[in-house]
This record gives sequence, structure tokens and C-alpha cells, in this order.
Amino acid sequence: MSRTAPSSEAREVARAAAQWLALVESGSASADDHQRLQQWRTSHGSHESAWQRAQALRQRFCGLPSALALATLDRPDAGRRVVLKRALGVAVLVPSAWLLSRQLPLEVWRADLHTGTGEQRRLTLADGSSLQLNSASAVNLDLGTRHLTLVRGEVALKVPAPAPLTLQAPYGQISVSRSEVCVRLNEGYCQVSVVSGAVQLQPLHGPLLVLNAGQRVSLQASGAGPVTAFDPSQADWRAGVLTAQDQPLGDFLRELSRYRPGLLRWDPALEKLRVTGSFRLDNTDRVLALLAASLALDVHSRTRYWVTLVPRNQLG
Amino acid sequence: MIDAATPPEQALHALYRDHRSWLECWLRRRMGNAWDAADLSQDTFLRVLSSSQQIAEMREPRAYLLTVGKRLLSNFYTRRHLEQAYLDALARLPEDSVPSPEQRWLLLETLQALDELLDGLPVLVRRAFLWSQLDGLGYREIAERLQVSERTVKRYMAHAYEHCLLVEL
Repeated sequence: MSRTAPSSEAREVARAAAQWLALVESGSASADDHQRLQQWRTSHGSHESAWQRAQALRQRFCGLPSALALATLDRPDAGRRVVLKRALGVAVLVPSAWLLSRQLPLEVWRADLHTGTGEQRRLTLADGSSLQLNSASAVNLDLGTRHLTLVRGEVALKVPAPAPLTLQAPYGQISVSRSEVCVRLNEGYCQVSVVSGAVQLQPLHGPLLVLNAGQRVSLQASGAGPVTAFDPSQADWRAGVLTAQDQPLGDFLRELSRYRPGLLRWDPALEKLRVTGSFRLDNTDRVLALLAASLALDVHSRTRYWVTLVPRNQLG
Repeated sequence: MIDAATPPEQALHALYRDHRSWLECWLRRRMGNAWDAADLSQDTFLRVLSSSQQIAEMREPRAYLLTVGKRLLSNFYTRRHLEQAYLDALARLPEDSVPSPEQRWLLLETLQALDELLDGLPVLVRRAFLWSQLDGLGYREIAERLQVSERTVKRYMAHAYEHCLLVEL
């Protein structure tokens, strides 16, 4: 955005308009003041136009939902960080953007951790265990009891030590030691995938289960489903990628939506198109552009946060 | 080398050729991510292209690119923070006052524009202004809440109005 600096005259007019407006709004303007304001406004075209622009400025704030707008615009970033710092003792949890997540030493006993949409966070615990939170996820951590509770979303937990860490999910409990596991909470079920080593799994109903690397199971309120195989070496969200192998586009887009703040919609006609490829999750706009480049679809962005995919040639 | 006689497009081309990968490296080191770094580096050159600064007359092109790049980087983080604050606030809203999905994202864009408009104002000035505009608080109430005099609030408000009027010029 290039613009030349406003002239000193324009600055002067802006300042005067601002002061007039503040005086009127303060309620302390006398009848005399009002008359002088009228004179000021009519004395020069630039005065009146500055006055109008100041009024228009107020309009821009009108009708916004105040609680939401205030929480967003008057965000206490610095303050919140101080509070967190105090609450956690040592660790500083800076809201980190996607892939900016670093290894943060977390030398605390209890913490509630969460990520927003499109955010990832990685933490290393004092015993060398590490956990990684996927987009829009939350966990509660209690190192006193070595207990991790998955509240929403998805977490990857790696425990190199023999002392187990217990991961509590809504439909079961998983004991992790010398192993790495991914747990994802979906509507009505929870998926457990063992990446390396072996874990013990206690469903809400049914016997204890031992799951090995490359095995995956769904837990529901009624108990564990059948054990299936997956390829633990395939890069996934933990590496910041989304991989599709001849996947229906609808499924792919539903998955992509997890990483993208805003609305992502598509024409039902696109549902059955097929996608294959590995896509970087740190820039979902680019993923959409890549889809448009390889499939017969157009990306229609109403705003950055409202994107619709349509079959090509239907935009008219 | 660029000299003053070089036409502007050529000068930009040379600037891009000589410094793009250097700038991208610099950004990548700070952002830890090549995609965003590439985007920001493109944006930086776009800004330079549309700025009034004569590329051919630049004495320290890298210093200039860095100044522009740093500002864009800071905007980038500001936007992410704002987005996060917004999503957090949205999550805390009672069910019946959550705006429709369409409204939600249009609103975020509006707030981003306003955030940019208010950028650079001191915290208290900004807060007073937001309370006045969004909550419709009177100057006296704002003064009480901030524990300053009404005169100070009037000064804050004038400051904020002036700032916004100048940004929009």
C-alpha cells in the first residue's frame, strides 16, 4: 500500500475534525461551541469533508456485535501471556502459528493445552515424552498422575521411557510406554493408531487389548471395533501434510476443512471426483489452488474465509 | 547493478533477480516455513513495486526490502493473533448469540480491517475508543473504568479519531 504522506494542511484539518468530534461527544460542548463548529464546517470544503469522514468512521463500528468485536479488537495478548506464565510457573505458551510450534520444555505438573483451527503445537515433557496437538484440539495434562486427557481433536503422544503415561479418551484408556500413538476424537467414536511400539488399551466395555505398530482400532461407547492395518510410515498431519490416495474429493475436503478457518463449501457434483497427492497443510489456500489446477473445478472466494468450489464452467 | 538510467520494470526485475532468494531465506529462517516465506517475499516485492520509492535510486536495496518485509511479517502475525482471539471469543459465546457461518467470516474480515485501522494506537487510547464505539459508553463511564479524568478521555478520543482520519487519507 503506497501512499504519500498527508500534507501538513490535511493533518491540521484531520486534527481539528477529531477534536471537534471528541468535544461534541463528550457532552461538554456549549451552544457557543456548536456554533463555532458550524462555522468551521462551512468555512472550507475540506473541513466539511473531514467532518463527514469522521462521521462515516463511526458508522464502520455501528452494528457490530459488541462482545465479539471487543474480545477480538481489545485482545489482551500481552496480558494473557503474563497470566499464563504465572499459572504455569515456568513455561511460556505463546500461541504459535502453524508449523511455528517449537519444542517447548514444559516443566509443569498441570496444564490445559489447546490449539485453534489451523494451529499445531508440540511440547516436550520433562521425562522426554513429547506430545503434538493437531488443529482444533485440546488436552488436559497432569504430570503428577501421568495422566493426559483428550478433550477434543487429535493428539500424538510419544513416550520413550518405560514409565507409562495414561491417555484418557472418552471411549477408553490407553497406556503408552516405549511407544508412540495417535488418538483422534470424532463424533461418536475415537480412533487409536499405534505408530511405533505397542500400547495397552482398555475400552469402556470389553477386555484389555494390546495394539502393535501399524494397527488401528475404533473405540465407541459399546466397545472396540475390529483392528485394522495402516501404514505408519506414511507422512500425515504430524509432518504437516495431508496425503490422499485416490480419495473421493468430498472426503478430502472434509478433512482439509479441519485445518482451515472459515467456510469451505463445494458443489455436490464434485463429491465423487478423485484426489491423489500429498499436500502441505500450512497453506490451505495453496492446496485449493493445486486442486483447481489438477481437477475440473474453480475456486470461488467470496472472502478469504468463505470459499466455494464449483465445477469448472459453471461460474458463468 | 542498477543505475538511475534503468527503466523501472528493468530495475524491479534486477531487484527481484538479485535479492529474492536472499529475502526468502531471511523470512524462512524467521517463519520456519517455506510456503509462507515465499508468499511474504512476493508480497514484499509487490509493495516495493507499488511504492513511490524509485527502485533505481535505492542505495541499500536489501535494507529497504528488509524494512518492508519486516512490516509484512509483523502484519502476518498480528492477523494470526487476531484470528485466534476471534475464534476464542466465538467459542465462548452462548449458543443463541453465535452468528451464522456466513456472518461469522464476513465479520472477521471487517474486524481485521478495523484492527489495521487502529494499529499503532496506544493501548488505553484504543480501549477507550473501542468502548465508546462498540459499547456506546459515554466519556464519563470510560473515565471511571480507566480511572482517568474525562478530559483525558476526550484527548484519547480525539487522538483516535485523528489517527483513523489520517490512516484513511
